[in-house]
Formats: sequence, structure tokens, C-alpha cells
Amino acid sequence: MTRIENRPLSALLDVLTSLKLTIVCMAALMVLVVACTLAQVHLGTWGAVNVYMRSWLVWWDVPGTVLSVPVFPGGALAGAVLAVNLIAAQLKRLELSWKKAGLWIVHAGLILLVIGEFVTGMFQQDMQLAFEEGHTANYVEYPRENELAVIDVTDPAWDEVYGIPETLLARADEVQVPGTPITLKVKRFLKNADLAMRTPNDAPAIATAGVGTSIRVAELPPVTTDDRPNATAAFVEPVAGGRSYGTWLVSALLAAPQQFVYEGRTYQLAMRSRRVYLPYSLTLKDFTHDVYPGTEIPKNFSSLVHLNNPAKGESRDVLIYMNQPLRYDGKAFYQASFGKGDTLSILQVVSNPGWLLPYISCVLVTVGLLVHFAITMRRSMRRRAAAAEAHS
Amino acid sequence: MKLEKLIPWLAGGLAIVGAAIAVIPPSPVRGFDTDAFGRLPVLEGGRVKPVDSVSRNALLMIRGQQSFKYDPDGDGPQKGRTISSDEWILDVLFRPELADQYPVFVINDPEVLGLMGMRQSSNRYFAFSALVPHLEEIQKQAMAAHQVDAKQRTRFQSAIANLFERVYLYYRLKNTVQLAGSPGLAAEVASAGTPGAQQRHQAIEELAYFRPIPPAAGTTGDNWLNMGQALRGAASGQPGDALSGWARLSVAYMAQDPSSFGRAVADVTAADAAARPDSIDLAGHEIVFNRAQPFYAGMVVYVLAMLALFASWLWKPKILQPAAYGLLVAGAVIHTLGLVSRVLLQGRPPVTNLYSSAVFVGWGAVVLGVILERIYKKGFATAVAAASGFASLIVAHHLSGDGDTMEMMRAVLDSNFWLATHVVTITIGYSGTFLAGAMAIGYTLRKHLVRKPDPGTTKALMGMTYGVICFALFFSFLGTVLGGIWADQSWGRFWGWDPKENGALLIVLWNAIILHARWGGFVRERGIMAMAIFGNVITSLSWFGVNMLGVGLHSYGFMDSAFWALTGFIASQLAIMAFTLLPAQFWKTANAHGKQQEPSPEPGH
Repeated sequence: MTRIENRPLSALLDVLTSLKLTIVCMAALMVLVVACTLAQVHLGTWGAVNVYMRSWLVWWDVPGTVLSVPVFPGGALAGAVLAVNLIAAQLKRLELSWKKAGLWIVHAGLILLVIGEFVTGMFQQDMQLAFEEGHTANYVEYPRENELAVIDVTDPAWDEVYGIPETLLARADEVQVPGTPITLKVKRFLKNADLAMRTPNDAPAIATAGVGTSIRVAELPPVTTDDRPNATAAFVEPVAGGRSYGTWLVSALLAAPQQFVYEGRTYQLAMRSRRVYLPYSLTLKDFTHDVYPGTEIPKNFSSLVHLNNPAKGESRDVLIYMNQPLRYDGKAFYQASFGKGDTLSILQVVSNPGWLLPYISCVLVTVGLLVHFAITMRRSMRRRAAAAEAHS
Repeated sequence: MKLEKLIPWLAGGLAIVGAAIAVIPPSPVRGFDTDAFGRLPVLEGGRVKPVDSVSRNALLMIRGQQSFKYDPDGDGPQKGRTISSDEWILDVLFRPELADQYPVFVINDPEVLGLMGMRQSSNRYFAFSALVPHLEEIQKQAMAAHQVDAKQRTRFQSAIANLFERVYLYYRLKNTVQLAGSPGLAAEVASAGTPGAQQRHQAIEELAYFRPIPPAAGTTGDNWLNMGQALRGAASGQPGDALSGWARLSVAYMAQDPSSFGRAVADVTAADAAARPDSIDLAGHEIVFNRAQPFYAGMVVYVLAMLALFASWLWKPKILQPAAYGLLVAGAVIHTLGLVSRVLLQGRPPVTNLYSSAVFVGWGAVVLGVILERIYKKGFATAVAAASGFASLIVAHHLSGDGDTMEMMRAVLDSNFWLATHVVTITIGYSGTFLAGAMAIGYTLRKHLVRKPDPGTTKALMGMTYGVICFALFFSFLGTVLGGIWADQSWGRFWGWDPKENGALLIVLWNAIILHARWGGFVRERGIMAMAIFGNVITSLSWFGVNMLGVGLHSYGFMDSAFWALTGFIASQLAIMAFTLLPAQFWKTANAHGKQQEPSPEPGH
């Protein structure tokens, strides 16, 4: 009885540890990588990576229907199976001996590399910080996400900010702004929309208050490329104390915030990139950008930034330039771009708890290969010495 | 016996001496010391280089060659005299009316010729004077083409935009030292403070192609001045030594006075040496590199090595095979010297752009081949290495048409540490993959062409290919991971699925698949060889193909015309793979090499 029960299990173990599975997984990864690279032309890097690499299955929308069928394992699945296969094969086939020490280290490093990519896929946050010379920022922004900020600006020294993520606006009809007596009724939400001045022939405006009354809104398909953000727009109606404060148009394209007053407190409404506030602040003191003489080729970019963290009593200058990021408090700030005649600096801000894993993995694989090489060399040298002895 | 040992040394030594002859400075032209003029340091494209480099690259961009034949009597180019780039640039700068008659503009596109009312004929080279009546139309059409994204342009649009760029480059060159058609630089210096001079200074400043006046002694930095800026300085004070030197040089050449020309060049050299002493040495070294053309010489020597080896299969193998090896080593020495000079001149690791990666890929393959030949001594590695070296230098040659191959590095790439580690390792990985592919092609040719069975060579070939694939996997993996670390340092992510990164990953995966398939016994001799050839396809796609996608952070190496070359290469590799996979009965060696005799690969890890 037990033998029959064990058979499917050992068959599964055979499959899991087989070299064929390794090859199939690697071949599947190759196909995915090619597909992902080609798809970047239309989907943009992030779109293609989400479809092919960061997914468990690759889905195909059957044309003319709403059906979606999985057609290929996704990168996450191929990677996970490969990692399991590596671990299982390691435990089953490779005997635990000094002779195989190098290969053990190499495969441990490879497993760590795959795990690192999973950690990155799940936990990495990509943010941005754009500031002009002389300006101080105590926040970073998510360039690909928007939020509706409700800002209590009554106190001139202190703004109270309540951020409503766009995902919530997209699905909810009513949002209670936490910490305030205000409820927002979401009349309409547009992921991407262009704005233009209204002409007399246009349909009546949805907005009844603010600048939105004189603006025509045209819905656009959501952006798929990397270089442009969505210009998200929405019509919202703040309600407080049983009274409506009109329907307002908010859009990422409207620079000036719009405001209303409730019980002596002034609230601003602004659609903007989603912000995360930091317990410290950064001030851009100077941005420099040189080109090689007589050419347009950029030679360097650098931002001189003052870092101020009162909680830790830190106040110091930091120079951020190419290949020299500032790593601080779990985030890394990189020089990414610039603008406005070299007075605006854009820093890429990344937090990735797994950022160290690839470094460890790289060291492990290199050491492992060197160990394996040394062991093989020693063995072949002994063999040669033995052969030479036998010869003489 | 002793004589046989000398053969590789003799063959290699002769090849190196032959290549060294090119370095000898040319004799004066009509009494003018063009060599000394070519050595003058100037600043162009962000770095200091000799005039010789500027003239060679400009002529290369305009005509596609670094010198040309010209016969003023119009009896056809065969009877003409060879005009070097240095002589050409002297005429462009100081005797533009003569330079306008030189047939330097190569035009191949029939539609562009048609635009100018010309018929396509055997003469593809046109003088500036022949283009003058059509300049307005060329500019109009080029401006229209410029509205279209470079990748979307039609053949005609690309050709006309390219012609206009070359015409504009030529026009800038003509107005670099003095305005074309003006009395000359000396007159300009004398009248520096007079009314109207300022507009002319402004015009020179806007058009000048290179900067000949060194910054003042005692200052730092590369703030060389163009003639317009120098003249403006002269208007408010005394002209500097370099400016007056150039003025005398201009007078002497315009008057065709060789002896005062020689003195003026010496004066300018002295002024440059006083202001920037190292610029003279740098320019001198670069001119040696320009003359030697080590990668061209290497290409020739590799062909000789290949020919010697092919001949050795028919006649006197005892002499010709070592001779071929000697030639291969000589080619490797010349190739290495060329690489080292580039590294020293540029102050950068060997791989900085697509051109230098091609040079380096070939170098890696050749060095590996030299080592393998020493181990196996079958002559086979010599043939494959020489062929790989030759092929990669040909590719590099075709990539060099854009001008200066030692251009400045963009800020994002400006890191010698990462260029030296990531870029060099990954390029060695390319070399290894290509060499394994080349060996597999050699294996296929041998199986189909050679009648005499030779299991020893087959075994050696298998061993070499396997070893090279292991080598390639190690370097491509290491290079890819180092690239990830560089990306983490500069862009904030270890891996971004950028097309170039994906290409590198494909090479790693493919090499890993080959090795695992071999260890598992899923493929044998022919299978491994066919897979190694497919490695060529993957490497070429990763190297050039992703640049054609035009997306991602790495797409700085875009080229438009290489698409068909790449497609042809891939098709040829797939065709060869089909021949590799043909069953044994199709082989010439079929009788002796039955399937049962095929050596099985070594088992396990």
C-alpha cells in the first residue's frame, strides 16, 4: 500500500529535480524575455514587465470576446519553478562533499538572485522628487500614481494634508475624508483626460464651482508608455454639515489649487502625483550640469542638497551625482533628470528592502565558481602528476 | 628542425614589420610640411586631438575614405595624385576655391542624384562646386526630412538629410579659421577693432568646426577658443602667440610659400606647447595611431593567416601551419597594440561605444584562439580565430563611418570603474559565445567537406567548443550581474528589464541551457554544435538587435542601415545550423563516423 501511495510523490519529486525541468524553465524564461523586450515598444517597460515577467501566467484576450485565456507561464511562475527545481535538485543530486562545495555556493547564489527579483517585484517602490534651486521638499512623489489632496491651509504655518488615492476615487461613489467632517461625492472619474476651454457649442459643464465651469473635459485612453504620466481628472462634490459646496473639476493638468471654506477652515482641492511625506527635508542648494566644450554631450550632472532631520539632529550637505546616490533612511536618491534651464533637479527615489540581495548573490556565485575552478584544477594537476609518475 | 621552429617567428615578424612601415611620416607635399601641420593640437568633439584626426574623420564622414585621388586635368582619377586628408583640409581652410573642385561628396542614392538632375553612373563622387547650384533644394528637402523621426524616414529622406549634414560640415570647416572668400586671417587680425569686424567674428564663432587656440598658460580646463573668440580677444588687446602664428600660417599657405609655412607651423606648435605642453605629446601619439591604422593592418594579417592555413591543408602543412599560427599571433599583437593605444589616448577602458565593442569582441576571440591553438595544435583554432578577428574588425570598420571613434562619454556612462568591469566582462562574454559559434561552424564545414575521418580533431573540437562555452557563460553571467550593480548605483534598480539587459540575460540563459543539456545527455555532438551556432544568433541580436528597437536607457547605439546586414547574418546562421543537424549519412566522413561512434559527452557535473 505504502509503495503505491509513494509512487506519485516520488514521480513528482523526479520531475521537480529533473534537469529537463531546469532546461524547460530556462527556455520558457528566454521566450518571455524576448516577448517582454519586443512588447516594450508598444506597452512601455513597466507595462511589458507586468504582463510578461511579474505575472504568474501570460493572458491572451480572445479577440471579439471578453474572454482572457492563459497561454504561457509568466516570468514569476517560471522563476519560482526554477528556484524550487534548483533547491530540490541540489538536495537530491549533489552530494554534500568538499568536492562539490563550489557548485553548492554557485547554486545558493543563483537561488538568492531569483529571490531578490521576487522581493524587488513585490516590495520595490519607485518615487520621484522634483525641486527647484532654493526650494525645500519634505515629501517624495509616485510619478505614475495620482491622488486627490484635500489640504487644510487655515494655519499659515502648517498644512494639514489628506490624500485620497486615485484607486479609491475610481471605485467609490462617496469618500469620507479621514480626520475631517467632509465627505466627497465622486460624480465622475477619468483615468486620463485632456482639458480645453469651453466653447458655446459644448454640452453643459458638470462642474458648478471653481475653474471647472469654463473647461471642457475630453476622456483619453490611459497612457501605456513610460515617459508620460496619466492626466487624471475627476468631478467631486464636497459635502459637509449637510451642505453641498458645489461640484468641482480636479485634474492633474490644473496647476492652481481650488478652495472652499467650511466653518472657518479653508480647504484646497488638488489632483496631483501621490505624495509620501518624509520625517526629514531636503533643500536643493545648487544644480550643475556641464557639457564637453564645443559639444552638446553632457559631461556631468550633480545636485548639492541640504539634508535636515531635526529628529536625529542631522543637518548636512550632500552631493548627489551620477553613480553616487544618497542612501538614507531606507531610501536611495539618484540624480535622474533636470530642467528649467538647469534650476530644476529631478531625483529618482527608490526604496527596496531587497537591494542588498543581488550583491550577496554576485559575491556567492563568483566565489563559488572560483572554488569550483580551484578544486577542478587541483584534481587535474594531481592526475597529471600521477600520470607523470607512472610514466617514469 | 631548427628552421621549422623559426617559421612562426619569421612569418609573424614580417607581418609586424610590414604593418610598422605605415607609421613612417609622409614626405612633404609640394614642399609643404603637411606632417607638422597635421600634428597641431586642436579641440573638437570635446577633446584635444591633432588636426590630422579632425581631417581624417571629416573626410571619412564626407567621402567615406581617409584620402582620395584627384586629377585636376580631368583625365579620370586613375591618373591623379593621392591627396591626403591633411592636404585636403589645408585647401579647405585656406584655398576653398580649389577645395570646392575636389570630388569628395559620395552620393549613392539615385533619387538624391535625380533631385540634382544627375544620372547614376560609375562616378559616385562629386565636388562641392557641382552641388552649389542645388544647395537651396538640398536644404529644403533636408529640412522637410528632419521633421520626420529618424526611424520613420524613407530611404530618400535619410539620404538627403545625410547629404545636407555633410554639406553643412564642409561649410563649417571652410569657415573655421577664416571666413571663406575673405582676405584671410592676417587681415582679420589687423582689422580686429574696426567697424563690421564684430559681425565677422560672430559668424566665425557660430560656424567654426574646431577650436585651434589653446587656453592661456597657467589656467586649467579645456577651454580652447575658436577663431571667432580669439579674434574678439585680439580686438580689445594684443593677439596671442597662437593667433598670430595661425595668421602667418594662413598667409603663407594662401601665398603658397612652403618655407614661411614651415616657420609658421613651428611658431603655432611652440605657442601650443607653452600653453598646454601635454597637448603636443597627445597629438603626436594620436597621429602615430592614425597612420598605423592598427585595426586595418590586423584585418590584413588575419586574412593572410587564414590563407596560409587553408593552403596548409593542401600543401606542406609542416611549414604553412606554423606560419599561419605565427601570422595569427602577429595579428593579435597588432590588434593588442591598437587597443592599448586607444586606451592610453582616451584614458578609458577599451570598450566605450559600439565601434570599440566590435574591436574588443574580435580581440577576445583571437586571444582565446591563440591559447586554444597552443593547447590543441590542430590548426583549427588558428583558422577560426583568424576568421573571427577578421569578421569583427570588418564590422568595426563599418561602424566607424560616423566620424570620431573616440567620442566623449555621456555623463551616465562616465565611470571608468564600471566601463572597465561590466562592459569589458560582458564583451568578453560576447567574444566567447561568438568563438564557440565559429568553432561549431568550422566543425560543420569540416564534416561536409573533408573526406578523411579524423576522430582526434573532432574530439579536440568538441573539447574546445565545450571549454569556450563554459568560459562564455562565466563572463556573460559576471558581466550581466556587474551591469545590474552599476544600474543599481546609477538608476536605483538592479534589474529593470531594459532591452540591453534582457539581451545579456538571453546569452546567459542560452549558454546555461547548452551546458545543462550536455550534462543531462539530452544533446550530443551535433546538437551542441548547432546550439553553439544559435548562440551567434542570440549574441548578434543582443549586441545590435536591441539597438534597433530604440527603447530603453541603453539605446544610444542606434544605427539604421545595419538592419538588413543583421537579418542576413541570422539567416546564414540558421542555414548552417540545418547543415549541422543533417544526419551522419549526409556527411563526407559518413563511413568512418557512424552514429554509434559519435563520442558521448561526459556525464554529470
